[in-house]
Amino acid sequence: MFKNSHARLIGMLLFAGWAASALASSHREAPLIANDPTADNTDVYAFRSPDNPNTITLIACYIPFELPHGGPNYYTFGENIRYEIHVDNNAATPGDDVTYRFTFTRVNEDPTTFFNIRLGQENLKTTYKLERSMDGGTTFQTIVTNGVVPPNNIGPRSIESGVGLGAADYASLMTGAITNASSGEKVFCGPVDDPFYVDLGGVFDLGNLPRQNGPPRDGLGQRNVHALVIQVPIATLLKTGAPATPANILDPNYVIGVWASASRKATRTIAPNSQNDGGDWVQVSRLGMPLTNEVVIPIGYKDYWNGLTPYQEITDVVLDPFFYNPELSLYMDNRFFGGAIPAFSPLRVQTKSLGAFDFGYGKDGLFSLKGSAAVSGTALDDAIFGTLLLPGAGKARSVDLWPIFHTGVPNLAPYQLATGKNGNPLAPGKPFVNNFLPNGGDMLRLNMAVPITSRTDAAFSSEGLVAAAVAGLTQAPFNTNTNIEFIPNMDGFPNGRRLEDDVTLIELQAVSGVALAAIGLWYDDYIPGQTTSPVTPRLLNVLGYRTGVNKNDKAFQATFPYLAIPWRGTDVAN
Amino acid sequence: MKFYLKNILPAALLVLALVQSALASSHREAPLIADDPLADNVDVYAFRSPDRPNTVTLIATYVPFQLPQGGPNYYGFGENVRYEIHVDNDASKVGDEIIYRVEFKTVNEDPTTFFNIRLGKRNLKMTYTLYRSDNGGHSFVAIVSNRVVPPANIGKRSIESGLGLGKTYQQLVNEATIYAATGERVYVGPSDDPFFVDLGGIFDLGDSPRQNGQSRDGVACKNVSTIAIQVPIAFLRKKSAPKIAANILDPNYVIGVWASASRKAVRTLTPGGQSFSGDWVQVSRLGMPLTNEAVIPVGQKDYWNSLTPYQELADQTLDQYFYNPELALYMDDSLFGGAVPAFSKLRIQRKSLGSFDFGNGKDGLFALKGTAAVAGTALDDAVFGTLLLPGAGKPRSVDLWPIFHTGVPNVRPYQLATGKNGNPLAAGKPFINNFLPNGGDMLRLNMAVPPTPRNSANFSSEGLLAAAVLGLTNPTYASSSALQFIPNMDGFPNGRRLEDDVTRIELQAVGGVVLAAIGLWYDDYVPGGSPVTPRLQNVLMYTTQVEANDLGFKTAFPYVALPHAGDGACGGPIAAQFTSQDPWLSGGIVGANTKLVATGQQQILANNYPNPFTDATTLRYRVEVETDVQISVFDQSGKLLQTLVSEPLQAAGDYSVRFEGTGLPVGVYFAKIVTNKGKDVQVLKLAKQ
Repeated sequence: MFKNSHARLIGMLLFAGWAASALASSHREAPLIANDPTADNTDVYAFRSPDNPNTITLIACYIPFELPHGGPNYYTFGENIRYEIHVDNNAATPGDDVTYRFTFTRVNEDPTTFFNIRLGQENLKTTYKLERSMDGGTTFQTIVTNGVVPPNNIGPRSIESGVGLGAADYASLMTGAITNASSGEKVFCGPVDDPFYVDLGGVFDLGNLPRQNGPPRDGLGQRNVHALVIQVPIATLLKTGAPATPANILDPNYVIGVWASASRKATRTIAPNSQNDGGDWVQVSRLGMPLTNEVVIPIGYKDYWNGLTPYQEITDVVLDPFFYNPELSLYMDNRFFGGAIPAFSPLRVQTKSLGAFDFGYGKDGLFSLKGSAAVSGTALDDAIFGTLLLPGAGKARSVDLWPIFHTGVPNLAPYQLATGKNGNPLAPGKPFVNNFLPNGGDMLRLNMAVPITSRTDAAFSSEGLVAAAVAGLTQAPFNTNTNIEFIPNMDGFPNGRRLEDDVTLIELQAVSGVALAAIGLWYDDYIPGQTTSPVTPRLLNVLGYRTGVNKNDKAFQATFPYLAIPWRGTDVAN
Repeated sequence: MKFYLKNILPAALLVLALVQSALASSHREAPLIADDPLADNVDVYAFRSPDRPNTVTLIATYVPFQLPQGGPNYYGFGENVRYEIHVDNDASKVGDEIIYRVEFKTVNEDPTTFFNIRLGKRNLKMTYTLYRSDNGGHSFVAIVSNRVVPPANIGKRSIESGLGLGKTYQQLVNEATIYAATGERVYVGPSDDPFFVDLGGIFDLGDSPRQNGQSRDGVACKNVSTIAIQVPIAFLRKKSAPKIAANILDPNYVIGVWASASRKAVRTLTPGGQSFSGDWVQVSRLGMPLTNEAVIPVGQKDYWNSLTPYQELADQTLDQYFYNPELALYMDDSLFGGAVPAFSKLRIQRKSLGSFDFGNGKDGLFALKGTAAVAGTALDDAVFGTLLLPGAGKPRSVDLWPIFHTGVPNVRPYQLATGKNGNPLAAGKPFINNFLPNGGDMLRLNMAVPPTPRNSANFSSEGLLAAAVLGLTNPTYASSSALQFIPNMDGFPNGRRLEDDVTRIELQAVGGVVLAAIGLWYDDYVPGGSPVTPRLQNVLMYTTQVEANDLGFKTAFPYVALPHAGDGACGGPIAAQFTSQDPWLSGGIVGANTKLVATGQQQILANNYPNPFTDATTLRYRVEVETDVQISVFDQSGKLLQTLVSEPLQAAGDYSVRFEGTGLPVGVYFAKIVTNKGKDVQVLKLAKQ
């Protein structure tokens, strides 16, 4: 068993599935953390920097739903909280290989006013210390001291005017707060427009996405968050022993796993007018893959999920069922509750793929192949990879949804595009992803060797790796050979996560089986030997599915820190 | 000294002023509580119930800035938090006379889903128990047990459909509106935030009303968690009060109301869980609106939240912010008046009646201390102690300080100038008595004052200020100094009605309007001339431009509006779309029916598809410069059929909206697009096939 034999698996390549599941990132996603916004981790991004390709940009956002006009105190990072971005680059060694830890201090420069900014003085002015550990958290070195967090973008009087800060404009405050760490990273901490976008009001009203009545609304439109942004040389993130130049664009040595967290001290003692935190640090929020804890984990386990590290998931046994048989798939299957959510009607899970395989809730998926000659030598071969991907009957999504959250996807049959497979999904096909890092936990996994798709390229798509798969299956020259070659958007989610990637759309399509289809497990309306093209109406339905909210409400910047400047308190409707 | 006041003053009537100071109620108003939304007390209201005048309605709201679309967990009240509404009705006894305490429990009815409501089951479902103490908190009796709190108003599928709860939201509120065992009417649950204020403007260094651009209600489209209790006056009034009030300002009918939230002293976190222990510690409180938002500076806000009103009597550090409020700096040309242009209509008296200076650090009425002129008035040390004239350099000790700490007695000089014949210290026309001299911040209400019907032409969100203006200028009231009911005498700061525009009233009060009301006229008053001078008119005309709530209030208990729905127009801006991926845009349809609407500098490009249509058509439009957008569909006779879009400040981008024509007769329809600049209107034909 993989769970009990972590060490045995290291060095071996496992498997597959490149999509995930769910719907609205992680804003107030679990009961306990919903009441502690200052420590609430909302999103994590990791992508190769488009303007600086020998670096990776890591972003973690905190404090959901900030109102730009939320005065008099506005919002800022909390004291007595450890905000951390964690990187694993070697599944053979337990725990993080690189850890960045931010801690913050708040000062009132003029405690005599109720205004946040007045006459050049700033209240709740926040500065930070950044520490880095390269030894799994055993020791930390301080790499930034007294880093500046810009104020909130209150309005023109507070920011630009002489009675306020007298800044040239808000952008100059943001630029001025960018600093270089002593160890070479570029760093920014501060308020930004929330880069996530989703129709919260629709999706959480029992899955009304896209809305069946009325226009779609971006539930995070005109909202800010506080972001930690670090641009790190790939050389710093690279696994010890990895070649300085990747062997190819899917070099397995170039995979990192990224997650973020917030921790508080165990004991808070409040007294009139003060509070004192003491004791050990306890993790209260974490995030790796978007939306895991928002819509995969049900309410009864959300707080539990937040309390674990990804490394603890390897011994957990209660969470796996939610990936084997995700709740969302109930609503994409006419045998269950498919009829109850009309908005999902284009999304139907395969129930008879290739005439045989049923991926519906509680069904067997590929389990009937277990131990057969057909899977010999593939990632599904127990002799090579253990029983992880085919752990038992009734665990339909153990071959796609489970691995993408827990191990990433290797460049190995059957996890290659159907191109070149000649109708056999288990045959070798065209490579398109390798973000395999089998540590067993929820992380955003990025292969740093994959080239960057220019944000101005006509082929750039917020559909991320789905767009790359579609191109690899349908567009020449990509679909004319099985060579490893760069297909635009191979650098997109779930191979890392770019700011633009529409993870809600991609994950909903994945729950409905689009990843299975990409590797040749076609939809029910493809009849082998009869149907001419696997690009059937059902597949087109899934690919044509839209949530109604397909991009952020503000454009991202072309240069670090890429995030849009925060909404101004005087510029928003309400 | 203040300590002795309790003994010296209870029977004596003290003080005055009918207004106070500050700007945006108490949403995330202090640093510590801003990070603990669940225990954040937002507002308190207390008013005589317009439809049941033998009762008073007490409302406390918590958990600020709730987004209607804030799923999957939405908002509620907290377990391990004590939410309390406190009532003092007798200043001669220390502490509360009556306390209502609400405690909550949460349960997941279906822990297997991430949805909040599914198939009739609710997650994070809250129930509450309401306790009452009528002995100062020594003992409590449960008067409502384990009643259900309505869910968040998630949307039609979750609330109304058979997949959800299968009821309208109004039904859920009706079911949750109940009677306590002791006769109170009770509602505990979500509501629209009844407060209204331009947060974005005011906290950008006082830019209210905005000098550039449109003022906006910063708490519009937001919900709060509300505790509303309607209590018989017979229960709230002082024990020794007569059963029938002696008159409409009977001093025995004054109550002080405040609310609070408390947490246990020790919270212990474990992975995935938390526990609480120790004594209860008050972490948030509220009485008068905006005290801790815009009177108390940031360095003292946490301290203020931790005190009870009764502890303020012994406090020495907070009084200075009422004697010399920060806001007054911005209403005085010799200080920072020039720095806040939005307040230019508000100028404090620097030379009232030729001599009295109420500017910060000046002496106000201190020169009168101990003189024959003040003998027998509230300013007479021999009668009332040194509270109102504690020293030089404390100009607002006679108006702003007392309204927050004692209320206003019906005693000279705290009567309207009507009948005073030019001497502010003479007897005038009574208009308020909410005097309850316990020394602490509370909302003080005289329950003997009749309610002003909400549908009366005289009803005004200016509250007691409107009553003062009528009493000074309207012949019906200004022709005698007799005590009579003037409309809105039941308004803030005599209690607080939901409609009262407390931000405006308080800014006007800092601008000295209360002093003017009692005859301390503005600097441009010339003896013998009309006291209604340009400066007074400026103050009275001052407005923040956000004067009413974004939803209408109800005429019956609990009066607050239903919470905004998560699937409605308040659930976020309409999403901009990727144009390049839109099949009918890229399909070359643009152009066939595309029109350019030029409205000043703003441009909107729009068309609809399909056209002609049978059941429904999608109207697309492009906003090139951020603007308000309203799109409505009319028939050929000009009859409005439907408003498709009504969006404030829609960002630049491409949008689409669907128009359902099912059931309409075949014909031509028109879509009118209006933006906020210019009056050009574009007509699009929606030809129904």
